[in-house]
Amino acid sequence: MKPLSIVAALLGSLSLAALAQVPAGYPSDYAQTVAAAKKEGKVVIYSALDTKAAQPLIRDFNAVYPDIKVEYNDMNSTELYNRFIAEVASGQGGADVMWSSAMDLQVKLVDEGKAMAYKSPEAAKLPSWANYKNEAYGTTFEPAVFIYNKRLVTGADIPTDHASFARIINANVEKFKGKVTTYDIEKSGVGFMFVVQDSKYFPGLKDLVHGFGKTGYRVYSSTGNMLEKVASGEHLLGYNVLGSYAAVRAKKDPGLGVVLPKDYTLVLSRVIFIGKDAKQPNAAKLWVDYVLSQRGQKMIGSDVELYAVRDDVEAPYTAGKLKKELGNNIKPIPVAGEITEMLDKTKRLAFLAKWKEMLAGK
Amino acid sequence: MAELSVQDLHLAYGDNPILKGVSMDLNRGEVVSLLGPSGSGKTTLLRAVAGLEAPNRGTISIGAKKVFDGAGAVDIPAEARNLGLVFQSYALWPHKTVSDNVAFGLKLRKVASGEIDSRVKKALSELSLGHLGARFPHQLSGGQQQRVAIARALVYNPPVILMDEPLSNLDAKLREEARAWLRTLILEMQLSALVVTHDQGEAMAMSDRILLLNNGVIEQQGTPQDMYNTPRTLFAADFMGSNNRLEGRIEEVRGGDAKLVGEGWTLWGRKAESARQGEKGTGMIRLERVRLAGGPGDNVLQPELATSMFLGDKWEHIFHLGNTTLRAHGPEALAKGRQWLEIPRADFWVF
Amino acid sequence: MAALAPSPDHAPQGALAGLFSWRSLTILLTAAAVLGPLSLIIYQSLLSAPFFEANKSVGVDAYRFIFADSDFWKAALNSVLIATGMVVIAVPLGGLLAFIMERTNLPFKRWLEPFILVPSFVSPMVLSFGYVVAAGPVGFYTVWAQDLFGVAPWGIYSILAMTIIAGLTHVPNVYIYASSALKNLGSDVEEAARSAGASPFRVAVSVSLPLIMPSLLFSAVLIFFLGFELFGLPLVLGDPEGILVLSTYLYKLTNKLGTPSYHLMAAVAICIVAITFPLVLIQRRLLVGARKYATIKGKAGRMRELPLGPWAWIAFALILGFVFVTVVVPLSGIALRAFVSSWGFGVKLSEVWTLDGFREVWNEPTHKRAILNTVLIGTVGGALTVACYTAIGFATHRRNDGWSRFIDYLVLVPRAVPGLLAGLAFLWVFLFFPPLTPLRTTIFSMWLAYSVVWLAYGMRLISSSLMQVSPELEEAGRSVGASRGLISRSITLPLIRSGLIGSWLLVFMIFEREYSTGVYLLAPGTEVIGAELVSLWQGGAIDIVAALALINIVLVGIGLAIALRFGVKLRD
Repeated sequence: MKPLSIVAALLGSLSLAALAQVPAGYPSDYAQTVAAAKKEGKVVIYSALDTKAAQPLIRDFNAVYPDIKVEYNDMNSTELYNRFIAEVASGQGGADVMWSSAMDLQVKLVDEGKAMAYKSPEAAKLPSWANYKNEAYGTTFEPAVFIYNKRLVTGADIPTDHASFARIINANVEKFKGKVTTYDIEKSGVGFMFVVQDSKYFPGLKDLVHGFGKTGYRVYSSTGNMLEKVASGEHLLGYNVLGSYAAVRAKKDPGLGVVLPKDYTLVLSRVIFIGKDAKQPNAAKLWVDYVLSQRGQKMIGSDVELYAVRDDVEAPYTAGKLKKELGNNIKPIPVAGEITEMLDKTKRLAFLAKWKEMLAGK
Repeated sequence: MAELSVQDLHLAYGDNPILKGVSMDLNRGEVVSLLGPSGSGKTTLLRAVAGLEAPNRGTISIGAKKVFDGAGAVDIPAEARNLGLVFQSYALWPHKTVSDNVAFGLKLRKVASGEIDSRVKKALSELSLGHLGARFPHQLSGGQQQRVAIARALVYNPPVILMDEPLSNLDAKLREEARAWLRTLILEMQLSALVVTHDQGEAMAMSDRILLLNNGVIEQQGTPQDMYNTPRTLFAADFMGSNNRLEGRIEEVRGGDAKLVGEGWTLWGRKAESARQGEKGTGMIRLERVRLAGGPGDNVLQPELATSMFLGDKWEHIFHLGNTTLRAHGPEALAKGRQWLEIPRADFWVF
Repeated sequence: MAALAPSPDHAPQGALAGLFSWRSLTILLTAAAVLGPLSLIIYQSLLSAPFFEANKSVGVDAYRFIFADSDFWKAALNSVLIATGMVVIAVPLGGLLAFIMERTNLPFKRWLEPFILVPSFVSPMVLSFGYVVAAGPVGFYTVWAQDLFGVAPWGIYSILAMTIIAGLTHVPNVYIYASSALKNLGSDVEEAARSAGASPFRVAVSVSLPLIMPSLLFSAVLIFFLGFELFGLPLVLGDPEGILVLSTYLYKLTNKLGTPSYHLMAAVAICIVAITFPLVLIQRRLLVGARKYATIKGKAGRMRELPLGPWAWIAFALILGFVFVTVVVPLSGIALRAFVSSWGFGVKLSEVWTLDGFREVWNEPTHKRAILNTVLIGTVGGALTVACYTAIGFATHRRNDGWSRFIDYLVLVPRAVPGLLAGLAFLWVFLFFPPLTPLRTTIFSMWLAYSVVWLAYGMRLISSSLMQVSPELEEAGRSVGASRGLISRSITLPLIRSGLIGSWLLVFMIFEREYSTGVYLLAPGTEVIGAELVSLWQGGAIDIVAALALINIVLVGIGLAIALRFGVKLRD
């Protein structure tokens, strides 16, 4: 056992003792929730965040609530959604907690009444855009960034904002042939959501997408693949990559460069809610509250290496730091009903068709 | 000049020697049979000639060309030996028609397609298969399949044709017809053929010369008549026909004759090279040479009749003489009891 | 006589009645396991929304949608191109390799054979990923080639490259059928061709291979429809380029409309089945034809090997080249990737060496469970599967009634359904069929889906074992008064024991490598490496993908090693 984890374990038992009482600011009946949760003994979480990345959070949660086993299942956001609705329809509520980066799908589920209404005691500490109907909450503050291969892309070829990204690839079509990558927007809900937002904020999107088309861009369904391919040099530039993951990889891989676009940076927030038919509703509440708490947020901003959404958290990765760096150019995608607009089949297909036209330069 | 010449050929599978120094020649227009019991190495010898087995030493020449020389490391692969080979199973290619089967060797020899056609037709018609060219092998009778196999081996005029038990897959009756037909064909076409068989009747009927193999060596070779009438060894004598066998002691040798004495009988016969006075000996006589005698005389035995079997054209009688069983042919049934049997001196060999 | 044996038929009759119900139960369960999920797919394809949602309506909208989608037609065309190309590559090469290994005196061939078979036992996900890291634009081999020669004249991201890779990696499928056919072929027909003047190559092309034509045709059809079900390879190599095939198009539909489009996916699956099922039927016919053919083949005497002479070098080069391209390159790529944290152009491998990937697998209960489950589903699950297949085999063995024919066709059905969608259908079954719901999050769900998906494959193994039992042996049993059931238990079963053990090993390896069936069934408790790889690849957790892939290869390797051990014993 490493000294650090001994300390963590000690801290855990301390806080456990502390939790015998209800945390400060929590309603007094919270003790009953904790007791009921202990009886439930476990919490089943469906999440789009890798188990590996979530591990510190789970460990810390268990330090606080050692009696509650965390059954953490990671899958991609679409699968998460599919599985959840099928399980709900079959009457076997599989997940207690749904935690996904597909904000639109999460909001849709809330709208369809598949989430449990739960006003977290921590809700007040969140920015207002991150609270949806006191049912679903934004938990992170993850920017969409550009990435590049530091060994192969230098100087003026490094894009600094959306316009320069478009300019660079359009000016060097040969150099970037097959070397530009972004989300497959037909496969990735997150990627789709990002470009829908881009279409609102970036008037030059048409040029950019035409550039994608001309360079024969490569698409993946996840950030991980884009990071791997850009880091290896198979691709040179990556567009709309999840900044949280990119930062982690860039830290250990000197070949990977990360750019926060100067003109505007989209920010995604992982949305969490409790399933309406959750079998372990109390344990689920503890998890949600923990994730939104200062302690949980600090863990998210440090060990988990996502960006904490709360402003009152001191950690290496926080919304506050990003805001300081980018000022008003930060554009969080709100946890709100409007983002489900594009889940309408006709609109979605129309957007996909338009995307194809833009690729062809039409 | 010999079309095929094998000198001192040795071949072993691992530690198990199959051929232990076999030499033979096959002359142009000659049919030679390799005869022997199973395991004698006859098929192995044929396959070694074909290039399908790898001998350890010795030489094989076809015409003037050495195709195998253990010392000189010459080993021409089977496909370059230009031999005709007829398999016991016929090994017709079931996916090719009769014509295609026959034509294959010509195609490999880059013969012009017009000529292939005419040569295949000729070969098939010579073997009375002319109308079957378009059929597949499984549509033919056994006899027809055999003839296709032969046509296939002959069509490119190999200097030597090798046949591995060519008749053994036929019914007994068909086999006799095929034997006559094959002999005629070989003579007419003036083929040089090496034929493996385990049936001495077949060997005698078909060949000009017989090589009798035993245990990896040639026991005796000669014309069918030589082999049948003057076997030099007990094995050769025993293998070549249906025989009576009498075990005894050689008591006296006088010139080319020897006296064999058994339990309660004494017979004179022709002394074989290996026979020694005072040693144990084996007497042998062909079934058909034993004569039913009217009464006692020189070289006459008096055994007890055990039974008689009717064979159609004749009777076969079984006699007991002490522990020895004797058989003889006769024109009619015999009465129970002791009978007189003459063992003619000239036909009785003592080994 | 009647007085001598007062009631001789009493016992057999009772056993027969018992067997009858046992048999009907087997047939019933098999039919349910096969037709249940399939009918669910057909039903789903005729709806406008997931079947479990309220706002669905019946109609052919799903078909209308996909037929109007140009991507569907592009994907279909690509599937046809790739499948055809695979046949063109795999069948001649597989036949030739089988000829070399089975009929010639090539040195070290027993030692080489396992390597030829390796691609068929490695998950295509693993292989494709291996090609990316080994021969991709900045793969290990590509970078080395560029350093050494200045060029690396290959690419892996094109239809042509995919076809070649798919063709090469499917050579073992042809090889297996071709070599077993060649094993039964007497060597006399080959020797006849040699004495007629044919070189070893000519013997192979003009005699041996045409003679096993039914087997080759059979495997050609097999390869063709496997081409239609290709998933891992186009997912890894084609998707980034936008090169779709039917199965990746289907997979893409999961999200294309933002929410699950099960009706569209089901419609695509039905289109695939519409292509593959007739092929499966053709295969069956070919198999019957092959049996007829077998009766007139040359007399199988002692097998004699064809001496290759100078051809040995060419044969050797061919095999080594094949093994290098299909085994060494991808697997060494994965092995390397599993031990480094980063790769590509300008990366010094000595500086990025790490065991983190394995550490992460080790620290992660899900992955550990995946490894355990994968081992279990192969060993225990494989044994159970073989037991089930054997039961089905006995239900039809030497019975020529309608039920047997029904089962004969029934077992072929799952082969035609892409594993991806079969898995999804099983997920539905486990979600909505109450008796099974408690088992959904157990490895049982995965096992059942695997067993049904591989039914046709497994039944072939079992029935070929059963066929080897001479009918006289069973008839002799009946003539002394044993019932069918007793004969099966005390005569047939012991006789096919070694065949069953062999089947178990093959099923083990197939289950170790299976990946697409599990994609949708993956849940806490059902993790298996194959499906985890797809999920992790989609999620981009490449370090773990590499480590798990390597572990998967090791598992398969162990199975292969044991199989070879057994194989040697069986041959003795």
